Amino acid sequence: MDPSILINQRVEVLAIYKKSLPASHICVPLKMKWKDQEIKFSELGLRHPTMKGQRMVHIFDVSDGNNDYRLEFDAEGLTWTLVSMISKEPFYD
Amino acid sequence: MINPEDPRIMFIDLNSAFATTEQQAHPLLRGRPIGVTNRISKYCCVIACSYEAKALGIKVGMNLQEAKVIYPGFIMLESDPPKYHYVYQKLIKIMSDYSPNFQMKSIDEGIIDFHGMDHLLKNKTISDIGYEIKQRVKEEVGSYMTINVGIAPNRFLAKQAANWHKPDGLDVIDHTNLLEYYQQIKLTDLTGIAKGFEARLKACGIFAPIQFFEASADMLKRRVFHSVIGEDWHHRLRGQEVDQNPTTRRQVGRQFVLDVRTTDENLILPRFHYLCETTGKKLRHINMNARGIIVWANFANGERWQARTTFNYSFYTDKQIYSRAKKMFNARPKHLIMSAMGITCFMLEPTNRGQKSLFDEINKEDLLTYAVDEINERYGTFAVCSLDALEGKKHVKQKIPFGSVNYFDLLLRD
Repeated sequence: MDPSILINQRVEVLAIYKKSLPASHICVPLKMKWKDQEIKFSELGLRHPTMKGQRMVHIFDVSDGNNDYRLEFDAEGLTWTLVSMISKEPFYD
Repeated sequence: MINPEDPRIMFIDLNSAFATTEQQAHPLLRGRPIGVTNRISKYCCVIACSYEAKALGIKVGMNLQEAKVIYPGFIMLESDPPKYHYVYQKLIKIMSDYSPNFQMKSIDEGIIDFHGMDHLLKNKTISDIGYEIKQRVKEEVGSYMTINVGIAPNRFLAKQAANWHKPDGLDVIDHTNLLEYYQQIKLTDLTGIAKGFEARLKACGIFAPIQFFEASADMLKRRVFHSVIGEDWHHRLRGQEVDQNPTTRRQVGRQFVLDVRTTDENLILPRFHYLCETTGKKLRHINMNARGIIVWANFANGERWQARTTFNYSFYTDKQIYSRAKKMFNARPKHLIMSAMGITCFMLEPTNRGQKSLFDEINKEDLLTYAVDEINERYGTFAVCSLDALEGKKHVKQKIPFGSVNYFDLLLRD
């Protein structure tokens, strides 16, 4: 089954913007604060824009090595939302 | 005669596009057997699966339970169209950098025609360009993304070349290795030859691609295919271009495998209404009117029912479509448990929207449809819709178009 866990909570995110990186990595979230914990991201899987009505949001799929997180950046409201996460735990091989 | 020209057609195919895109987005899923479906349910089936899943024997079309029997840890994800659209747009951007003559054949396949583009190649071979595109996809989309590249004198052989060594291959088929290639494959490895055509070919003594190649055009036309299709195959197999002509759209529609098998009108009609409204949106998106409607239903006992009507006047509004379709749909056997249903509009013709009618009622409906479409364009599809269709929308998920990219933009306005 789908291993995604829905969260939909506003979070604090620290992101960097680098002009020297390719367009797909021009903005990279480095870490976020969620439930009083600081989570450092080790990889940006994919960033893609999408529309909600006429509002542009950017979806960042990031990973800290243990969990994958889906972050949503609202380009109009300048807010970050942790939409869902996939935990490594169900995958014990 | 085999086409002796240098190969100038490049076919690009994203490997297991949806599944690989999900693995690109989710590093934890890389190297694991995963699949993608439109809506996770008891009856959902795999619409795309990763190479790891394919290696275990999981195939597109299998349902979730069958896949779980093969590998209990199989992970199924719901499709995410904006994600695939992003990858699709990136692929278009990369392809357009090499030739103005490129065409997306589907959401994950495209063709670049390099005829007359020698001055843009800057001493590179087309194979060099192929490797460059593979590298750019990794850099500009994601390091996990791989593509297959096929290069040949015509579209058909370029696709065959792209399928030759999967995943992440690059192959060239031309007059020097064409016969050698045909000796390595079987009939159903040829794009367009499935079980039906294979049976026809075998009935005429053609058991292998090399025999298919050696058969005369006349024999293929008269004995095997009984139409001009046979001549097309004769040319296609020799690297001559017969697949360049654009296709004409003849119908639009929607179908839905019910999330609950039922006879209950209160459950069926909202879903049917939603299918009608999305069909109307498709019709208006391509600026067409329709004059015919087909509605159909499949039932749990295996029976099928269909009604088909043509009308004197063309139509395009949601109301016109739903009122006609509902009348036809009400004639179905209502005592049977329904498992799937659909609507198709046919006899398409260019729209006459904008042409004022003598009758005020018609003008009002036209203006209302225009206003609703504009609001939905601005605030998201189904910001304004009928109450019935809104209920249906909760249950009918939009599908990812495999064979066509005509409605992809429309699909994303959710």
